[in-house]
Amino acid sequence: MKDYIRSVFDVVSESPFVPLEAHARKGVLAVEKLTEAMEAYCTGNQALLEERTEEIDILEHDADKIKQKIRASIPSSVRLPVNKKDLLSFLKQQDSIADFAQASAYWMTLRPSKGLPDEIKEGFLELMATSLKTARTYEQLVGELYKLLATSFSKEEIKKTLQIVPEVEKLEHDVDVLETALLKKIFEHESDIGGAGVCHLMGLVERVGGIADKSASAADRLRSMILRR
Amino acid sequence: MDLIVIALILAGLYMAWNIGANDLANAMGTSVGTGALSLKQVIIIAALFEFLGAVFFGGRVTSTIAKGIVPIDKIGSVHPDIVAFGMLAAILAAGFWVTLATFYNLPVSTSHSIVGSVLGFGLIAAYNGTISYSDVHWGELTKIIASWFISPALGAVVAYITFSIIRNLFLRRASNLPSVEKKFISLQLITACYMAFAHGSNDVANAVGPIAAALNIMGAMGSEISVWVLVMGGLGMVIGMATWGYKVVETIGSKITELTPTRGFSAEFATASVVLLHSYSSLPISTTHTLVGSVIGVGLAGGIAAVDLGVIWRIISSWIATVPIAALTSAIIFVGLEVIFL
Repeated sequence: MKDYIRSVFDVVSESPFVPLEAHARKGVLAVEKLTEAMEAYCTGNQALLEERTEEIDILEHDADKIKQKIRASIPSSVRLPVNKKDLLSFLKQQDSIADFAQASAYWMTLRPSKGLPDEIKEGFLELMATSLKTARTYEQLVGELYKLLATSFSKEEIKKTLQIVPEVEKLEHDVDVLETALLKKIFEHESDIGGAGVCHLMGLVERVGGIADKSASAADRLRSMILRR
Repeated sequence: MDLIVIALILAGLYMAWNIGANDLANAMGTSVGTGALSLKQVIIIAALFEFLGAVFFGGRVTSTIAKGIVPIDKIGSVHPDIVAFGMLAAILAAGFWVTLATFYNLPVSTSHSIVGSVLGFGLIAAYNGTISYSDVHWGELTKIIASWFISPALGAVVAYITFSIIRNLFLRRASNLPSVEKKFISLQLITACYMAFAHGSNDVANAVGPIAAALNIMGAMGSEISVWVLVMGGLGMVIGMATWGYKVVETIGSKITELTPTRGFSAEFATASVVLLHSYSSLPISTTHTLVGSVIGVGLAGGIAAVDLGVIWRIISSWIATVPIAALTSAIIFVGLEVIFL
């Protein structure tokens, strides 16, 4: 008797925007863990680095699962108030945030920071902090989505939300500047670090910087999604 | 003679129970889903206004089911028992199909089932030579079937417009969005009453239309629908709501929490208006299908995060299946009853 129910409310399907926010949270959490991993790397605490790397790995995996769930929740029969392709392309960029955090953490475990000049360690910590700030600002942007939906995209809410996008872009630019400066310093010390060391550090710069790049391009696509509705 | 009246009443009550347990529950689900009303409030409102709608505005559609599709006067002039058994067959066939559909969660409409099964009786009467095929009110039937397409579409249009107005006047200008939604909670109290009233006025016919036809032909009731028949249908639906419908409302309410009061209000207002309009026009339509149309209308106006249009195909296939299945079942039951009793 339990299933003696005839309902037509499958017409209202689960909102993909709720898990979208959860997905962004996982990515930013991974970047937060990466910041701790970076500190562990610079202080040579290999055990803590390994531990954080594992945690980041789990977060990245969780984010992947949410991503799959979102993709599965929008078959062709489902209509959203935004373009589905735009939503998926922005989700893909957002997903890369956790991917880059994971790649950075793995990269750090490959080679210890022993013998690195303090100047370079500081450069990495600063780069990391700015990348984290970019990701956090991006998360703030995603957090505004529910207000847009609740007001059914009021002009005022759109304006307020889109004001955050240039902030993310500005931070991403700051990261670019820091990357260049850091690379320059790395090459200045190339004789102390050695060829393999330089190669390793370049890869790390690229990966940590990638977090900000992906945050900015996700923000950019989020903007397109809102405007092209 | 008396036994068949009792059988008709019991079958009618079973049908009414089903309508109360599932259709009324669907109609009221949005009020609970948006958090506007508690389960207890919904049941009280549903019971009261469903009953009022059935008793005070249910006569027109009941007349359509009773004599709008099949010329019962003509069949009754051959022998009144044919009408009585035919209507019993119709109500049993519709009840059977609705029960089956409910177990398999198919979006079948009780209105469509009863129209199909009454038609099935008419066709078998024509096959038997009691009436000719052209005696079936095909024009009226065409109007009824057209209204099944028009009502959900109209629900969508009215809901789209209603929500667009609310969006432009309130949501997009709101400095304090939660307070706007809060105001619509009290408005939803009104639309919930409106919805139950509209539902009662249209769907009571599915349970008591055939009873009215039989009583009329047997001389137990004039051509005007007696109030006690409508009261009985209303009571049956209220009992369905109270004994089973509350569970359905609860299940639905927990599933559609994404509807906010402004959205729920729009969908309910549109559905109730369209259904009441059809009750006034004496057309038996599906409240739940109209509600689906209205929810889609709100969704297309940008009110709902995700709307699954897949349900449209499920509804259309249920339409295509319901009329022939109900008609055939009704014809078979009638032949059975005919062999045994006539």
